[in-house]
Amino acid sequence: MTNLICITCPIGCALQAELVDGKLSVTGHSCPRGEDFARAELTNPMRTLCSNVRTNNPACPLLPVRTQGEIPKAAMMDVMRLLAGVTVTQPLQCGDVITSLEPICDGNVIATCDFPF
Amino acid sequence: MSIQTNVAVIGGGPAGLAAAIAAAKQGAQVLLIEREARLGGILKQCVHDGFGVLRFGEKLAGPEYAQRFLNELRQTNIQILTQTFVDKIKPHPLGWKINLVTAQGMRQAFAKAVVFATGCRERTARQIGIHGTRPAGVLTAGSAQFFTNILGQLPGRRCVILGSGDIGMIMARRLTLEGAQVQGVYEARGTPSGLPRNVAQCLHDFNIPLHLRKTVTRCFGYPRLEAVEIASVDEHMQPIAGTEERVDCDALILSVGLIPENELLETLRVPIDPVTRGPVCDQYGMVEPGLFCCGNAAHVNDLVDYVSESGEIAGAAAASYTEQPEQQHAQITAGQGIMYAVPQRIALPAQEIPLYFRVKEELGKSRVVIRVGETVLAKKTYLALRPPEMERIMLDLSQTTLQEGDEITVEVQPL
Amino acid sequence: MDNITRINRSLLKQFGGRFCAIPQQKHLSLQGESDDWHAIVQAGRLAATLFKGEGGVVNDVRYTGAPAAPTRLPSVQDDTLAGQAPDVLVIGGGVIGCAIARELARYQLDVMLLEKECDVAMHASSRNDGMIHPGLDLKDKRTQKHHYNHRGNAMFKELCADLQVPFKRSGQYLCFPQPRWLLWVGKLRWGRHGIRSKFYNQKQLRRRLPHIHPALKCGMFFPAAGAVCPYSLTIAYAENAIENGARVFLNTAVLDMEVHESKITAVHTNRGTLRPKLVINAAGVFCEDIAAFAQDRFFSIHPRRGTNIILDTKFSKFMSRSASTLGTGGAEGYGKHTKGGGVIHTVHGNLLLGPNAVEVTDKEDFATHAQDLRTVFGHQAKTSEALSSAQGIAYFSGTRAATFEEDFVVRRGLYTQNIIHAAGMQSPGLTAAPAVAVDVAQWAADMLQAQPNEDFNPQRQGIVDAASLNNIARNTLIRQTPDYGIILCRCEQVSKGEILAAMRRPLPCDSIDGIKRRVRAGMGRCQGGFCCPLITQVIADELGISLDQVRKAGEGSELLCGEIKPDA
Repeated sequence: MTNLICITCPIGCALQAELVDGKLSVTGHSCPRGEDFARAELTNPMRTLCSNVRTNNPACPLLPVRTQGEIPKAAMMDVMRLLAGVTVTQPLQCGDVITSLEPICDGNVIATCDFPF
Repeated sequence: MSIQTNVAVIGGGPAGLAAAIAAAKQGAQVLLIEREARLGGILKQCVHDGFGVLRFGEKLAGPEYAQRFLNELRQTNIQILTQTFVDKIKPHPLGWKINLVTAQGMRQAFAKAVVFATGCRERTARQIGIHGTRPAGVLTAGSAQFFTNILGQLPGRRCVILGSGDIGMIMARRLTLEGAQVQGVYEARGTPSGLPRNVAQCLHDFNIPLHLRKTVTRCFGYPRLEAVEIASVDEHMQPIAGTEERVDCDALILSVGLIPENELLETLRVPIDPVTRGPVCDQYGMVEPGLFCCGNAAHVNDLVDYVSESGEIAGAAAASYTEQPEQQHAQITAGQGIMYAVPQRIALPAQEIPLYFRVKEELGKSRVVIRVGETVLAKKTYLALRPPEMERIMLDLSQTTLQEGDEITVEVQPL
Repeated sequence: MDNITRINRSLLKQFGGRFCAIPQQKHLSLQGESDDWHAIVQAGRLAATLFKGEGGVVNDVRYTGAPAAPTRLPSVQDDTLAGQAPDVLVIGGGVIGCAIARELARYQLDVMLLEKECDVAMHASSRNDGMIHPGLDLKDKRTQKHHYNHRGNAMFKELCADLQVPFKRSGQYLCFPQPRWLLWVGKLRWGRHGIRSKFYNQKQLRRRLPHIHPALKCGMFFPAAGAVCPYSLTIAYAENAIENGARVFLNTAVLDMEVHESKITAVHTNRGTLRPKLVINAAGVFCEDIAAFAQDRFFSIHPRRGTNIILDTKFSKFMSRSASTLGTGGAEGYGKHTKGGGVIHTVHGNLLLGPNAVEVTDKEDFATHAQDLRTVFGHQAKTSEALSSAQGIAYFSGTRAATFEEDFVVRRGLYTQNIIHAAGMQSPGLTAAPAVAVDVAQWAADMLQAQPNEDFNPQRQGIVDAASLNNIARNTLIRQTPDYGIILCRCEQVSKGEILAAMRRPLPCDSIDGIKRRVRAGMGRCQGGFCCPLITQVIADELGISLDQVRKAGEGSELLCGEIKPDA
């Protein structure tokens, strides 16, 4: 049994989960998302990473960004290093892709607000 | 250069944006006043995600959540004044006279109704009795967040965080991601003050220790912070002599609570609820005829989704506000086990209203009962209730006949 | 029995054989060894009360307790000031030193002022309650405290108008728990000394101060009491001195002196050696060290800490005037050597509680202690029940430069000819400062046979306080300079225009705290939570430095540790 806190929504259910021969048993969740979370957490924990990147615009020197979906938890610091090398120079809208996460993992990094603001 | 409008909204954060949009949707002329250069309020610096799960069914980053409202705002004809500071507000035959300070000069606005969406501020080191030196390196989590996320500067390389509020835990993660070392998060209470998911994803994920029943009592070092003194606290949260230990750090980041910012509203001498530290409001956020308050200025929320909801309700109500003779009210009282319940009163007649409350102490399975006299209006069973988590119950009053002075009591019974 | 024998008998009786008094030329040296600082202070005081001599009691006791931290010195080392030979060298940029520099500027004199900190008013001059005392203490009319208090008090109105420093002569209530006919005797005595007062019974008192503690039965009102912003006054004095030709050097510490034939011939600093004609010792808690460098040490300082608490402006309604309580018994930690502080109505509209008095060894330890706060609240609660610790937004401590004689040392050197001391400053030092400065400047001018400076302009233009202007004037100001319409500190309503103005004054100001002292940005209820990052940006832009070079106060107090994402 592993004790987990579900991070899917603000309720934060306290889960007890166990994976035996690929079969998941979970208690403590109050919705189906809790099961999905527990499965991922026991096999390949995933997180959304939020940060910011530099821009070439002194009026708004940093642009907030996040990964489009979740990425493997273990890849977070690698993605941070990737983001440290990114500079935004073109106008963007909230949700536009800034960079791909290849080769670290699948997915993209998107802007979380319009640029310039 | 005076402005006449139906509704003036003070504050362009999540509550103010929602209020302005909702008022405009009702067909009102709306003036939105923001003191910063950009709309969005504190969401601008909240680059982390988790916003909007209830409202949009998605986990959005703070700026992204704000952007949705900003995009909606573009579709309206709301007049927006940024970098505009409200200096004074006074009653006026046209409603309210608002004195504005702008970079172009002084301006006046006249509004039939005013919505206060002025947010909240953080408690400071002095307010929680941290003694010792006053070096550089002691700052609130909100300031640390501004420095990190807006200005791109690290406030410290070895940080101690006091208070396990959400902002504190989120900053612990953020600073760790940016290369700082977080020595630990210290919390004077026996349980974390923020959401459980933040304990998991901000602290556990990064192996940041959370020390409960401990607080910072002193700062060492000058001119820069060198260490803090940590002490265990008793059940009254008072430091226990002899338990002091020294933890080296170059920054102390405080996440020790938020206080609704109502200094402007207080100049109008409206009653302030000593528990929420926001004004006494009805279900529309109305404080007194023509004055509305919403979002964290009314009481500190833990989810922006609720802030937006209260903004929408207040904005819509302000838009349709007309002077009424002798509004009748029923009172809402925080009963057994309840820290506070808002709204504090209900304008009659009432329909369906969201009622927000916090419990006084951590409870297991329990039932919340809302009643007037012996009549139960609503009840709801919870698996667990915690003071840091605000709860919301939709209260349908359309079938209930209430009269002036009736007292609605919210209470919680452990099961 | 001669004086010294009597002193030694008394010391023996009270402290065993720990201390003895040894007469020097004109002063008394207290010698011995002890790890008990309080005993040393008590012995010094005892000797001082008994000693009859021109000088005072000097502490030569070997203190074996925890050593005090070394004096904080600026790290800069250069020769900027090497070879300077000013007529007058003022040491210390507190209110006393800055006032003296300004009064000296009335004469045709080359005046230099040295301050070891990054700004003026960094020690006691910004760490006090700002009270302008009416001079109620009549115990010893011969003291310099008494003399300068009265003369200084009378000068404040005109002085503050000239220097554009906020000052309010709002009066002070002194309240008592019992109705006392004795007060009438006091009134007569005060009256004889020209101190106006008015007696109020409980009913009258309550009408004037509705929130006064019900246990207080009567009170005296002293209209001559006032409040000034102490650091604003210091800064104004320094700026006016500079405008009239004086030169002020910050981050400059006096490290030693050379004295030949009772004359100071050289003053060594971290920025070179100077050869002034006359030295003025206004070094606050360090005045004894300066006197020692000058071979003119005939008094000693025992630092005494006081803690003050500032309440949110919205609680000022609880006390419309300053008020203090007497006769409720000395609270622990207040001690004999404070008037018990009071509830002070500051010029900025806050209530300020304090200060208490605690003997300490470290002159620059401005740390605050929970016990001090409890003491201050406990004591001031006797003045009003409406006050509570939750109303506090800030607190601070400072150290008084008390001598064993518990009096000022305003006089020419005792052994060395070309020095004047303005030392031993404690309450009412702020009230006394203007009068002390006039005397010291006069003596200096006489010694150097200086002529009056016909071009002296006593008036200083302060930084405009935009929020206090009416709409029309404020509008005109913003139209001229739009920065006055950009509010950065919301709690105190301070605009970017005022912050930039603070940085462009005759006296340099380039730190968050420096700006805070000049325009109050960051002094409100959020204590800089919102405005500090904004002001950091303004400072960086104005000085052309990076954000991580912006300081809270002096060197080493940089707020930030550099950019995030250092890898890129």
